Amino acid sequence: MKIVAVTACPTGIAHTYMAAEQLEKTAKKLGHSIKVETQGAMGIENKLTEADIEAAGVVILAVDIAVEESERFERVRTIKVPVQAAMKNPEAIFAQI
Amino acid sequence: MPLDLSFSCPLPNGVHARPASALEEVARTFTADVVLLNQRTGRSANAKSILSIVGADIRFSDPCLLKINGTDEDRAMAALGSFIRNTLPRQEAALPAIAIADGELRLPPCLGKSGAVFRRGTSVVPGIAQGKLIRASSFNVPDGLALDGVEDVAAEQKRVENALEELITWYGQRAVAAGKGVESELLIAHRSLARDDEFRKSILDAIQLNRRTAAGAIADAEARFTTLFATSENVMLRERVLDIKDVCGQLLQKVYGSAAANRSLVLAEDSIVVADSLTPCQFLALDCRLLKGLVLAEAGTTSHTVILARSFGIPTLVGVEKISNGFGDTIEAVLDADLGVLVTSLTDMARRYYAMERERLDGRQFVLRHFGEKPAATQDGHPLEIAANIATLDEANRAFAAGAEGIGLFRTEMLYLDRVSAPDEAEQYEVYHRVIEAADGCPAIIRTMDIGGDKPVGYLNLPSEHNPFLGYRAVRIYPELETLFRTQIRALVRASAQGPLRLMVPMIATVEEVRWVKKVVAEEQARCAAESISFDPAMEIGAMIEVPSAVFILNELSGELDFFSIGSNDLLQYFMAVDRANSRVAKLYNPLQPGFLRLLKQIADTARAKNKWIGFCGEMGGQKRYLPLLAGLRLNELSVSAPAIGGLKAELAQLNLKDCEELLEDALQRTTATEVAELLDDFSVRHSAPLLGEDLIVVDADAATKEEAIKRAVDLLYVHGRTEQPRVLEEAIWEREANYSTGFGHGFAIPHCKNAAIQANSLVLLKLRQPVAWNSSDDKPVSVVILLVIRDFDGATEHMKIISTLARQIMHEDFRASIEQTNDAAALCALLKNRLNC
Repeated sequence: MKIVAVTACPTGIAHTYMAAEQLEKTAKKLGHSIKVETQGAMGIENKLTEADIEAAGVVILAVDIAVEESERFERVRTIKVPVQAAMKNPEAIFAQI
Repeated sequence: MPLDLSFSCPLPNGVHARPASALEEVARTFTADVVLLNQRTGRSANAKSILSIVGADIRFSDPCLLKINGTDEDRAMAALGSFIRNTLPRQEAALPAIAIADGELRLPPCLGKSGAVFRRGTSVVPGIAQGKLIRASSFNVPDGLALDGVEDVAAEQKRVENALEELITWYGQRAVAAGKGVESELLIAHRSLARDDEFRKSILDAIQLNRRTAAGAIADAEARFTTLFATSENVMLRERVLDIKDVCGQLLQKVYGSAAANRSLVLAEDSIVVADSLTPCQFLALDCRLLKGLVLAEAGTTSHTVILARSFGIPTLVGVEKISNGFGDTIEAVLDADLGVLVTSLTDMARRYYAMERERLDGRQFVLRHFGEKPAATQDGHPLEIAANIATLDEANRAFAAGAEGIGLFRTEMLYLDRVSAPDEAEQYEVYHRVIEAADGCPAIIRTMDIGGDKPVGYLNLPSEHNPFLGYRAVRIYPELETLFRTQIRALVRASAQGPLRLMVPMIATVEEVRWVKKVVAEEQARCAAESISFDPAMEIGAMIEVPSAVFILNELSGELDFFSIGSNDLLQYFMAVDRANSRVAKLYNPLQPGFLRLLKQIADTARAKNKWIGFCGEMGGQKRYLPLLAGLRLNELSVSAPAIGGLKAELAQLNLKDCEELLEDALQRTTATEVAELLDDFSVRHSAPLLGEDLIVVDADAATKEEAIKRAVDLLYVHGRTEQPRVLEEAIWEREANYSTGFGHGFAIPHCKNAAIQANSLVLLKLRQPVAWNSSDDKPVSVVILLVIRDFDGATEHMKIISTLARQIMHEDFRASIEQTNDAAALCALLKNRLNC
């Protein structure tokens, strides 16, 4: 399945990127294609386009803070979890897909 | 015909012992009676008695009247008038404001959880001391001495009179021996108390009227005057109680000899002395090598004992709760005047905390000494001498110990202030000679007196001025006070025989001023030659560049002089037409004003074109932030306060001259100070220390808990000069930790914070000797700690890219395994640089 995701943590220094890596790693292992946007200390990186979101079956928001430009995801099925869940047990998130 | 002089008290703390003593000094030189009347209270005082003046309880802005009556009343009126206008307003002890401890006590986590007992106090001298607690008691009359029943009144009075004379002489001799400084000022204040008419009269009366013995009469005087002081509404007066106790104790000893000696405290090992109160002389009698800390129940922040403790650098807490009971003598304790606590019942954890504190402070000293010992130079090898600004001989010694490469500014006016007459040639020669000796072959720039104007000197009787800052001061007063000036020049000329002395003249605005000074120097040199007194005929003469006009005649001045030093404090004030002490305009006092930078550039360029040595001795030079700009000016020297030397040398070693020159060129093109500040911030981000380095990696870190591991990591940042506020960082890290643990499993933790208290983005890697619990998501203990600290104005920087790469990599087992398997700091550093592409 095509999946898009956003990660964001309060300081934006570490967990935003750790969670992103974890989601990418797990998706690959489970045979999904994924694009993860990070909203951290460096601002928005790997930004999800309209087309990315349009094509995705589901959005994973692994966030501890408000997501920037959240209106982009209004029309797509969304799974929202804390950042820590994405780090600790990413398989459990993918099981909800 | 009696003369009246009315004034209102200009001192915020009122007329306490120090100003009273200064007034007494002036009043007693005349035969005329001088009565001081406090018109608020109606109390009048004999102005020749400190105790009497103090008893008048004069507070800020009280209306006062001096009544002068006697044969020399006209001269007394002139001298006292000058004293009231010029000297009295400056009699406020210059003490840093001390915050009284209140609010919740916040201890670092590993200390707070240690289980030790904490007693809070107000820190008046910072520092940390460890040692045995030893109790001291203050003034009392020894049991064996009779207090009453004197038969031969005259003989008993004579004993006291003789003892007082002896004591007065003794104070005088000790004050001279102590040289200039806090100790000598204190002894002089005590001498004034000892020769105080009221004090003497009170003792003699008690013998005559009450048939008290000398001991009884002294005890009465002690009780009477300490009560008088202690019940005053004036804090400064209450704190003089210890001085009274001290003088009474000394007098008792002079009358009775060793029979009355206070059992003096003998220190046998590192000690923290605890006292309800400790008199200044008791303090001075202690062995300073073993006196590590001082805990006082009473004694406020401005008592003489505290002032002494500060000058000796003895960590001190005052107002400590419950110290009179609760523990016996000889128990081990830590006095942490940085945190404001006395720590007893030391547990292992508390001991470990203070062992770490010692490592932190020693580690920083070691790093600073490492740079301090090396000649100052940029990374690419361009030297920029770092010298010291001093005002006393003591400071010269401290400066060279801190790595100074010379004395860039010796402010000689301190020799003239706070005294009743000018220092003579011999006294000055002694000081200059010893400064040159301390410099040991390094150059010493000695600036001739900058007095008058905003630094009035009572005995010179200079008229008070409407605008002293723009008035009659420094080089401008020399021709009128030629004798005084010649005395200084002669002392300097003589001292020039001892080593490289460079004479600097303040406030030069015209070429004529320089020519006049040079003529006087040449004449004094000729006189020395005629008298076969040795001197250095090649002694260099230079000017302080602080008046803007001098900048525009620098070519002409170069023809007359050997060197220049930029006095940026006054130069900036005069250039921007702003008084930096005036809060309403102080924001204009900004050295980053493009106009000011262009002025500095013009000075540096002109001096270099004329082949003249150019130094810089303003406060701007001591601030690391401005260093790249000043390095870009290609000055010969920066002269700063001693504590700044090591840090500046370390900072300079990180800078590349070409980068600094480019930065300066760029700054000179900017339009506003804000733009220059932004440029400087950007520069400091781009040129700050690298994110990671071998010095930030420890492979065998000793930490028993998560709290200790975090402290260790933060302390390392302090040791290497990446933060001056380790506690702020520690708190920020724990604040982040409170969200959820940064132990993400697999034995790794990645604590982090974003905080302005870090000077350079940093990555610290600790491999712990034994794993510690971290509340990790997989409940496993942590043995690898990676601390990330980022300055908060950062965005998508190079450093943040490295950190995000690390955050991603660390989710991979092979990366973690390679860190676990590498046990050498250099190899780990190389591994990280390789894997993180930096």
